Amino acid sequence: MPLDLIKPEWGLVVPQLIVFFLAIILMLGDAFIPRERHYILLTAISIIGYVAAGIALIWQYGENKATFYGLFRADDLGVFLGMTILVAALLTVFVSASYVEYLEGRMPLGEFYVLLALSTLGALIVAIAGDLILLFIGIELSSLATYVLTAYAKRRETSLEGALKYYLLGIFASAIMVYGFAWIYGATGTTDLTEIARVLQASVSGDHREASLLLGLLLIIVGVGFKMAAVPFHFWTPDAYDGAPTPVTGFMSSVPKTAAFALAIRLLVQGLAPLRDDWLILIAILAFITMTFANIVAVAQRDVKRMLAYSSVAHTGYMLAGLAAYKSVSGFGGTGSGDFGISSVLFYLLAYAFTNIGAFAVVAWVQHRGNGLDLDDYAGLAAKEPLAAAALSVFLLSLMGMPPLLGFYAKYYVIVALLDAKLLWLAIAIVVLSAISAFYYLRVVAVMYFSEAKVEHKKVSTPLLNIGIAGMVIAVIAVGFFSSGILNLADHWTQALSVAQAVTP
Amino acid sequence: MGHLGVEHYLFLSAILFIIGLMGVLVRRNLLIIFMCVELMMTAVNISLVAFGTATDTLNGQAFVVFTVAVAAAEAAVGLGIILALSRRGKTVDVDDMHSLRD
Repeated sequence: MPLDLIKPEWGLVVPQLIVFFLAIILMLGDAFIPRERHYILLTAISIIGYVAAGIALIWQYGENKATFYGLFRADDLGVFLGMTILVAALLTVFVSASYVEYLEGRMPLGEFYVLLALSTLGALIVAIAGDLILLFIGIELSSLATYVLTAYAKRRETSLEGALKYYLLGIFASAIMVYGFAWIYGATGTTDLTEIARVLQASVSGDHREASLLLGLLLIIVGVGFKMAAVPFHFWTPDAYDGAPTPVTGFMSSVPKTAAFALAIRLLVQGLAPLRDDWLILIAILAFITMTFANIVAVAQRDVKRMLAYSSVAHTGYMLAGLAAYKSVSGFGGTGSGDFGISSVLFYLLAYAFTNIGAFAVVAWVQHRGNGLDLDDYAGLAAKEPLAAAALSVFLLSLMGMPPLLGFYAKYYVIVALLDAKLLWLAIAIVVLSAISAFYYLRVVAVMYFSEAKVEHKKVSTPLLNIGIAGMVIAVIAVGFFSSGILNLADHWTQALSVAQAVTP
Repeated sequence: MGHLGVEHYLFLSAILFIIGLMGVLVRRNLLIIFMCVELMMTAVNISLVAFGTATDTLNGQAFVVFTVAVAAAEAAVGLGIILALSRRGKTVDVDDMHSLRD
């Protein structure tokens, strides 16, 4: 292969570079800024960094180019996924600052922000990766930083234990996934996603490679299933979510999950597009098992954090259903007009980031006031703290899918996509299971509004957390009205396919 | 004796991978589980290099460099978590990990 030294376009990786340098600056700041000023300064640096990266990302919108020989794809799919990731990271900063500083025996804040930035960077890399190697590095960077974040409350045994389960199953899943990558590479002779699609397109019917391709595909779906916490690969989820510090739980449920879905979209839709019929059925089955199991188990939970953990698994199921609704785009590299599945997944990921981080933020808010995570701790919250109870109600109703909140639009678009793709059974499953999920979401709301208070709440001031929660409540209520505009942006993901087609080996 | 073809390497890799996989599923000692995952990663590396030779491309060998680096980073993080747990006087047996339950 002759190496023609084209000058790479560094401009296309600016958002990633900003987050990378943010991590380094935070690391230096942690070392050189006096401890008592960490709270103000490092929080400000983090917020500025994520906002700057977001602006740089918006700048790239509509650019649609590949650089570094196709390794990085600055396309609209990457922009949308990147925005979701950055929004989730920014919200996590708002939620976590006071938690890390004051609860669980004052955890070191600087390192926390560094790990947050590294995990975000990993997810951003997955969002724009155009190569198996880069996909692997991105997802691993994101996961490794999240393992440490999960173990961050290291004085509490449950935190370490949750982290250990997450870690062991996480690396197990990585090993399985990368074995799948190896088989795909072996079957096609390249790690570039576009090239993989081209080779497969030419040889997909009844070749002797078929078995090894299917093995690779299966291994990848198992690995990705672990990463996105789909049943039956979800064992780590309740323990890790329960054990992690609450803001980290919110982060885990959105950024690494977005990274896992980014990997699935990049790899399955872009690279393995010619194997579409093989993976679509697997994804559809996975979606159905995931949402059924998680919703039924969540009903039995009395611990609010654990209930939200199972609810997060259930939402993975709804997102997978959106992925399963991916329709043919007239062979590889078509313009894909009229395809709705991927757009609905992208919209769902964004909606879910606001709603779920918000729900965990209110849990953290209650923890700040000296209370645990049991349902009894929320009894009578509405009488004493009406705003917090209202906020949690908004988030839970949105998770349930109550119109006109954001969560309703997310589910609605997935269902429309499913009907469009003639997967009626999956659409019916979503509606029925949403009705079941109403039971456990509304139970918390009912307990907050109609039960007698059983615990006292301390008076604590958490300005940053309050701002974050207020912002998310407004987003959950208001963004729904702009959903068609956002969905239009999400529809631009198909640009990724035309960019891929333009990449020359 | 015929000469070694790519399938021999793939077979070795598959056997190592399955040994690692079974180890993760069967053994209860944290460090052994961790070692078994490392074994799976090594198996993957053998596959990658073998595929690289078979397809006459260098991507596989480049990939191996990265998987080795990632495996090292995983070891650092994992041993840190295991150390923090064992300092709390816990054993390294996963069956003792049940302070979190359904």
